[in-house]
Amino acid sequence: MEAIRNALDFSDFPRIDRMVALAVVLLLVTFPLFPHSAFAMATMIQFLMFSLYGMGWNTIGGYGGQVDLGKAQYVGIGAYTTTVCLLRWDIPFWVSMPLGACLSIGWSFIIGYPLFQLKGHYFAIATIATSLVLKDIFEVWKFVGAARGLGILPFKYQTPDFLRLIFKEDVYYYYTIFGLFIIGLLYMNWFRKSRLGFQLRSIKDNEEVARSLGINVHWAKIKTYAIATAFVSVVGSFHAVYVKNIEPEDTMSLDISILIALMAMLGGAGSLWGPIIGAGVLIPLKSYLKEWLGAAAGLVGIDLILYGLIIMIISAFEPRGLWGIVEKIRRRKRI
Amino acid sequence: MALLEVHNLVKAFGGLKANDDVSFTVDQGELLGLIGPNGAGKTTLFNCIAGMFPPTSGRIVFAGEDVTALGAPEMARRGLARTFQVYVAAGDLNVLENVMVGCFMHTRSQSKARALAEGILDDIGLRDLKLNLVSELPVAAQKRVTMATALATSPRLLLLDEVAAGLNPSEIEDIMAGIRHIHADLGITVMLIEHVMELVMNVSQRVIVLDYGKKIAEGPPRDVARNPVVIKAYLGERYVRERKVSSDGDRHEHHGRADS
Ligand SMILES: Nc1ncnc2c1ncn2[C@@H]1O[C@H](COP(=O)(O)OP(=O)(O)O)[C@@H](O)[C@H]1O
Ligand SMILES: [Mg+2]
Repeated sequence: MEAIRNALDFSDFPRIDRMVALAVVLLLVTFPLFPHSAFAMATMIQFLMFSLYGMGWNTIGGYGGQVDLGKAQYVGIGAYTTTVCLLRWDIPFWVSMPLGACLSIGWSFIIGYPLFQLKGHYFAIATIATSLVLKDIFEVWKFVGAARGLGILPFKYQTPDFLRLIFKEDVYYYYTIFGLFIIGLLYMNWFRKSRLGFQLRSIKDNEEVARSLGINVHWAKIKTYAIATAFVSVVGSFHAVYVKNIEPEDTMSLDISILIALMAMLGGAGSLWGPIIGAGVLIPLKSYLKEWLGAAAGLVGIDLILYGLIIMIISAFEPRGLWGIVEKIRRRKRI
Repeated sequence: MALLEVHNLVKAFGGLKANDDVSFTVDQGELLGLIGPNGAGKTTLFNCIAGMFPPTSGRIVFAGEDVTALGAPEMARRGLARTFQVYVAAGDLNVLENVMVGCFMHTRSQSKARALAEGILDDIGLRDLKLNLVSELPVAAQKRVTMATALATSPRLLLLDEVAAGLNPSEIEDIMAGIRHIHADLGITVMLIEHVMELVMNVSQRVIVLDYGKKIAEGPPRDVARNPVVIKAYLGERYVRERKVSSDGDRHEHHGRADS
C-alpha cells in the first residue's frame, strides 16, 4: 500500500515541476490527435523508448553512480526472446516480454557478480566487453539468424493484433510504449524513495560509509543492475515487434549502450526527470541530424562526434546534467 | 559485562604493524577513550573492530559472539556503529536523507525511516539543517550529521573517530555535550578516539593509549595523563604541534590521513 502511495506521490517536487510534468503528459496523450508526419510519430516513439532505457540505466548508473556502458546486450536479449518466441512458437508479446526480462535478469546476475567486483573505469570497460561478447555470439548463432538477424513478416498476422503486438499503424505502438512509459515513471518515483534507492545513493556517496550502515554493497548493486536490465529488456522486446527486423548490430552495438547512458547523463543522472529530459533533447536532435545529413554517405559518423562533444561538455561543466543546472539555480535562490 | 573483547589483535600493512598485539575490553555502558599520537593505529583498530577489513591475527568478540571474520554490514546489523575520521560527503543526499539511510537498516518503510530520522535530528539539534546538503555545511555540523547517521542504526556500541578534530573550542564543547547525551541519556556504550588528549580526559571513564600500534597504557584518565610512558609518547608530537600552532596562529588542525 505504502509502495503504491509513494509511486503516485510527487509532492516533494516544487509545484512548477508537477505542472510541467502534467503538461508534458497531456501533450503526450494528445499528440496523435494532432496532424503529424510519420517521421514525427517515429521520433516520438523513439523518445518514449529511450526515456525508458534511460530510466532503467538511471537506477544503477544515476542513483548508484556505476557507469554502465553495456545496456545494449539486454536490448538484444529482450528483442531476440520476443522475436524467436513469436517466429518459432507463436508466443504472444505479453508472454515473451516477461520471459525476455527473466532471461535478461538471469544473465545480469551471472555477469553482475564478477562485474561489480570492479570499480570505476574498470567497471565501465568491463560492461562494454560483456555486451560485445554477447553480440559476437549472436552474430554466429544460426538459431537466431546469425549476423542477418530475424524478421517478423507483418502480413502473416491479422492486424491490429493486440496479443502479438503487430500493428500496421504506428499509433498503436505509440500508446503501448506510452503506457509502459507511465508505468516506468511511477516505478522510478517509487524507486527513488525506496530503501534500495537510498542505499544506492549512499553507495554512490561513499562505499565505506554505506558498508558501515549495514548495506551489503555488492548485493545492492547486483539487485539494482537487475532492475535496470529488466527495464531495458522490456523495451528491447517492444523494439522487436515495432521494428520487426532485428540484427545483432542494431540491437547490441556499442552505439546503443552509449546512447542510453548519455541520454540519462545529459538530462541528469540520479534524478527522476533526467532521462526524460535527456531523451527529449537527444532523440529529436539525432533523428533530424540523420534525416538531413545521414543520407550523405560518410557523414553518418556525425552523431558519434555529437556524443563525444556532449560527454566532454557534461564532464567539464556539470556532471549532473541539465537537471543539475536547474537544481543549482534553485539552490542558489533558496539560500 | 564486557560488550566488546579484543584479544591479541594484529593488523599488518605489508611490513608495518599498524596494530600490534592489542588486547582490551569495553564494558556495557562504558565511555572509553582511545588516544595516541598521529599514526599510532587508532583508526586501524576501529576499522578492524567494525569489520572494514579483517585483522591479520587475533580475535574480536562482540556481545559474547566471535565476530572476527564478519564484514562491516554484519557488524552494523549486530549493533556496532562508527563515524569516519575523514568523510567527504560529495553526494546529493541532504541531512535528513543521510540519516534515513541509517534508519533503513531496520525498516523497509520510507515513512517509518523518515519519522525515525526526524526524531534523531531533533534530538541531536539538527532539525533546522535537515534539508541542507551535507557538503554545504560547516565542519562542526558535518560531524554531528555523521554522528546522527551512525545513531540511526540504533547501535549498542558507537565508535567515534576524532569527531572533535578541526573544531573551535565552543564547537568542541557542543560536541562533547552531544557525546555525553548519547552515552548517559540514550544508554549507548561509546568508544572515542581523540588525537588531542585533553578532550578525552574530560569525558572518558577509562582511557587506552596506543603508540606505534602497541597498547602502552590503560586506566583512569588522571593516572594515564601522569604515566611517564604516555608523556614520552606524546612529547615529540606535542612539541611539533605547538610549534605549528604558534607559527600559523591558527586553531590546532591535525593532519590525518584519509582512512580507507
Ligand atoms: N589502508 C592502509 N594501508 C596501508 N597503511 C595504512 C592503511 N591504513 C593505515 N595505515 C598505516 O597504519 C598506521 C596507523 O594509521 P592509523 O590507524 O590511521 O593511525 P591513527 O588513526 O592513530 O592516526 C599509519 O602508519 C598508516 O600509514
Ligand atoms: Mg586516525
